Amino acid sequence: MSRIRNTSNAPALPWIPRWMLALAALLAAAAFPLLVEYGVIQTVWIRVGTRALVYVLLAVGLNLIMGETGMLNLGYIAFFAIGAYTTALFSSPRFGFEVPFWPLLVMSAGLAMLAGYLVGLPSLRLRGDYLAIVTLAFGEVTRYTFNNWESVTNGPGGIPGIYRPTVFGYLVERPIEFYYLILVFVVLAVLLVANLKNSRVGRAWNALREDEIAAEAAGIHGMRAKMVALVISAAIAGVAGSLFAYYQQFINPTYFVFMQSVIIVCMIVLGGLGSIPGAVLGAVVLDSLPEFTRQSFSSWLPAIFGRDFMAGWPDFLRTFFLDFDQYRMLIVGLVIVVMVIFRPEGLIPDALWRREVHQEDPREQEHTLQTLFDIEEGKQDLEV
Amino acid sequence: MESAPRALLEFRKVHTHYGRIEVLKSIDCRVNEGEIVCLLGGNASGKSTTMKTVLGIVRPTTGDVLFDGKVVNNVRTSERIKRGIATVPENRRLFPHLTVLENLEMGAYTRSDKQGIAEDLERVFEFFPKVHERRTQRAGTLSGGEQQMVAFGRALMSKPRLVIMDEPSMGLAPALVEQAFEIIQAINEQGVTIFVVEQNAHAALSIANRGYVLQTGRVVIEGDAKDLLANEELRRAYLGEM
Repeated sequence: MSRIRNTSNAPALPWIPRWMLALAALLAAAAFPLLVEYGVIQTVWIRVGTRALVYVLLAVGLNLIMGETGMLNLGYIAFFAIGAYTTALFSSPRFGFEVPFWPLLVMSAGLAMLAGYLVGLPSLRLRGDYLAIVTLAFGEVTRYTFNNWESVTNGPGGIPGIYRPTVFGYLVERPIEFYYLILVFVVLAVLLVANLKNSRVGRAWNALREDEIAAEAAGIHGMRAKMVALVISAAIAGVAGSLFAYYQQFINPTYFVFMQSVIIVCMIVLGGLGSIPGAVLGAVVLDSLPEFTRQSFSSWLPAIFGRDFMAGWPDFLRTFFLDFDQYRMLIVGLVIVVMVIFRPEGLIPDALWRREVHQEDPREQEHTLQTLFDIEEGKQDLEV
Repeated sequence: MESAPRALLEFRKVHTHYGRIEVLKSIDCRVNEGEIVCLLGGNASGKSTTMKTVLGIVRPTTGDVLFDGKVVNNVRTSERIKRGIATVPENRRLFPHLTVLENLEMGAYTRSDKQGIAEDLERVFEFFPKVHERRTQRAGTLSGGEQQMVAFGRALMSKPRLVIMDEPSMGLAPALVEQAFEIIQAINEQGVTIFVVEQNAHAALSIANRGYVLQTGRVVIEGDAKDLLANEELRRAYLGEM
């Protein structure tokens, strides 16, 4: 079976095997903090990198539900929030709990999974727009709950002073340590999702996306298969939330607004729905773009072209580049529109999605012509 | 004395509703092990609903559907497939963006015996050389006739005891229609029981053992296929007597 899946998952870059690309990406990610350590780039980049890794986790997790089963989930950030709040409540001075790292990570993932299960029970019967609306509502309800349940969550004030985690007897404290800790979980999540994609349940997801009734008629328990995807993706978001809370040491409801869900959707659309490398790339690009632009225009480009290279530029252009974060959603929106027009399958497309997006594949024209001739032959037979 | 034939599929006074509209009005019918049974009838007579009721896509409001002697009213579709029902659905419903081979593999989804799956795949390819030729192509790009063969192949991949077919000749060029019925007969000869809905009554009855004729949700005529072929009333109504 795997033999066959592999042919359909032909690499987007045919001259390099995918595992080599993955390894190269992993090495680059592992080497990245060294640039900071040796002063090649500023220390802020380790924070940018760490946050990008959190979003990589989220993008990989959302991709499982959206890319594989085709269910639009606009409230994904809620699972992230549940993971983050679980960790914050049980490892901070707020109630004096100090649950150790591993049990709390499992609790955070577990509660996110439970939430996924409960929201899935009624909503997985829905499709398309309806599912999108229900998940959107779930995301907002979750945020409002954290915002208004002051006795527990401290409302908009958030939860400060989340303790540093001790992992295998090692106190994780410095940003660079968090970077590597989260990178380990990114690798685990990628391996998990890659294996699921090629598993029996992965094939079930793809079949459900293509035609639900035909999938049921092939013996797939549609509800159960979709629930598995939803719960696992919720678990990944829960883990991401827990790590995020530990790293950030402070959370409040503003981290979990609807726009965050939208951005994660944009990340995987940009990278390519159903594609793991696409999700990784989309998350890294979209999350670090504002900082990258700001840095480029405030320090790197001046170093090359002289400090006053923007002197003649109109004001709005200068503020645009220097204060890029303000315009982030504008740019994301533009990028998505351009992508959908010119490369709807994403930057690093998944083979099956590419086939869905491009109904007409030039490589198959030949066969179609043959097919036409076959019908002609059939007619001739009839006349004779 | 010949023992009574064993019913693989049985409908007992099955009523179904879409909302408040009653579609099947007390259907009684049976498909015995090893038979080809065809279900005839005009438009909106309830043929497709009967097929959906067998699969569990539609559930009876009253009455019982039995498969292999057990009531399956509340058994969901995927579980019925596991118990040995396969389908060649109306309009084939292949997975259009999966390759032909992947479509066939989806047919074997409920099975885990790799050896057996590989053997059955070979058998399907032997049966349909054209399908083998097209195996790496995505199913949506195939011609109607080829898609029909893939649909037959996909149904066989689950090693079914009963295959239900909804209008297998629909949309096929006339020369291919004949071929489709030959294939159905050949599948049956391998020991698979077949329940087939057809508009093409003459062709269906000529390969079937028995038949039922539906009219507005009721069985109006039933009997041996050769009697039905000779039935004057039926000839006028459904066989397009010239």
